[in-house]
Amino acid sequence: MAMEYLDKYPKKFRGTGVIKPFAATFKLMVKTVLPGRRSVCIMYPYEKEWVPDNYRGRPGLRFDRCVGCGICVRACPTTCIELVEVDDGQGNMVKKPQVNIGRCMMCGYCAEYCPVDAMTTTTDYELAEFTRQGMIYDPRRLNFDYTTDMMEVHIEEHLMSNLEKGITDQPTAFFNTDRPVLNGDKCISCSKCAKVCPVNAIEMVVVGQNDKGKDIKHPKIDDKACISCSNCIIDCPKDALKMNEVL
Amino acid sequence: MDGKMKQDKMWVTMGPQHPFSHGLWTLRVEVDGEIITDAEPEVGYLHRGWEKECEQRDYQKIIPMADRLCYSASMTWSHLFCKVAEEALDIEVPERAQYLRVVADEICRLQSHLMWLAAVGTDVGNLTIFLWALREREFMLDLNVRLCGQRLTTNYPRIGGVRNDMPYYFERDCLRGIERFEKALWDILQLTDESSIFVGRMKGLGYITRKDVANLGITGPAMRGCGVDYDVRRDDPYDAYGELDFEVPVLKEGDAYSRYMIRIEEMFQSCKIIKQAMKKLESIPKTAPYRLKVPKCIPEGTHVAKMEDPRGESLMYLISDGTDQPYRLKVRSPVFVNVSASKHMVKGVRIADIPAIMAMIDMCLGETDR
Repeated sequence: MAMEYLDKYPKKFRGTGVIKPFAATFKLMVKTVLPGRRSVCIMYPYEKEWVPDNYRGRPGLRFDRCVGCGICVRACPTTCIELVEVDDGQGNMVKKPQVNIGRCMMCGYCAEYCPVDAMTTTTDYELAEFTRQGMIYDPRRLNFDYTTDMMEVHIEEHLMSNLEKGITDQPTAFFNTDRPVLNGDKCISCSKCAKVCPVNAIEMVVVGQNDKGKDIKHPKIDDKACISCSNCIIDCPKDALKMNEVL
Repeated sequence: MDGKMKQDKMWVTMGPQHPFSHGLWTLRVEVDGEIITDAEPEVGYLHRGWEKECEQRDYQKIIPMADRLCYSASMTWSHLFCKVAEEALDIEVPERAQYLRVVADEICRLQSHLMWLAAVGTDVGNLTIFLWALREREFMLDLNVRLCGQRLTTNYPRIGGVRNDMPYYFERDCLRGIERFEKALWDILQLTDESSIFVGRMKGLGYITRKDVANLGITGPAMRGCGVDYDVRRDDPYDAYGELDFEVPVLKEGDAYSRYMIRIEEMFQSCKIIKQAMKKLESIPKTAPYRLKVPKCIPEGTHVAKMEDPRGESLMYLISDGTDQPYRLKVRSPVFVNVSASKHMVKGVRIADIPAIMAMIDMCLGETDR
């Protein structure tokens, strides 16, 4: 029944004194008023504590980088992100994420899972608003002016199969490895997958002709362009596509 | 009437809004004059269906939710969830991630115990302890920000590793902070251990016996304060705890003061563990893997994992059905079990002693009511 550290404390002092606590408090008071010593408190609205770049404040968006794949929407635990259509400045309507900050739990998943590093975490934590509508950050408002590279969150996962082979220097992420695969029997050549692909990685190629003489088209996936957002899998009406997880 | 006034026993309700109850819970006590003859804790005011909510979430999405079980032990809860998922997938975490988790766990334990010390200070009427303990806790939260990106809800562990590696200079900051903290803790002891007022509020009060501990299933500092030598970190080591050298403090007395001493000693031991883990992290190359890629779906089966929470032994029980969402996730909260002992602790003491005794349970209603 020994205490490694507390036994070092002289037992005769334990629970005996009244003066010592006062002396300890007084000592600190003298220490605090001495010049050159930083006080513990800061005058908050005027002074702010420094936060590192990896601080997880509200999510930020780099508008130009975003491809509108919707991975952040599906990764969000509180479903506070939704895709909305906005003008990209050149007259085109594009889909970009809009965040309801009032519901956001600052988990940082949107930044972590973003395959193009468009979503970032920011150091912005003063988010009070007067109205609930003010809590909704549209894609333009999500932009954070002081975004640095440190605010990107990268996934550096290692494949278990690689580690078994002894390869320990090839970190990867799911959007580099996981690719959809096609079950050709189920495909009805509707080309919906090609339409929903945010990075135009799917091309419909003719693989044959049916009994009526019409072309049978199957999606061909460009492995380099694909970001494994699984939009094609979700929108496939016949469940012909399936994500192939590389482990 | 023979001139004497006959007084009956009376039930007094303390809580749910009461300065002594840290959170929403009620302690109903039966008093005979000022002596307590019976007590009954009532919890459930903060029930929010956490376990049911998990059944509609992907496994990855439960990690930040597990942080919210208890704000001061967030890292241990999310770590526990990752552990039960890893058990289900039957994978072993890379060595670097194991040590990083140990460091984050112990920082979490330190800040949780400091929050408890601050609460004890206010409960026994010493506001200086509250201020000093929270000042030290602020340094622990700063370390959390550097390592995980957030002060309280760290969201640091992932199934198969941790979120990110140590940032630059974290090693230096952490070792400096811990060394500074050890000195500061000796200073705080001048306020607490040397004060006859502080010690007098706790010594000899709130006894529980070893038999009660076994029967009620009490774990954590309350159990070790009664002479039961058990700590999950040492006796059933998880992650890298098996390779670290630390001692488990045990006291025989079983009163409120012994529980206080156990927690203070645990803080010193946590510092020791962090220093060792940091030294070990130096020897592991910085390019070593710290996160594994894991499948989204967990195969069918039932799995259980346990861990040493700052408050006791926490446990999660997972039933998976082969999809990417759990079929059932059961949480065994240490505080929920420990608070059932309050009946045995407060019997025979006076009403004014209840705050000092109940503070030693370190109530956290988020995980109790779930």
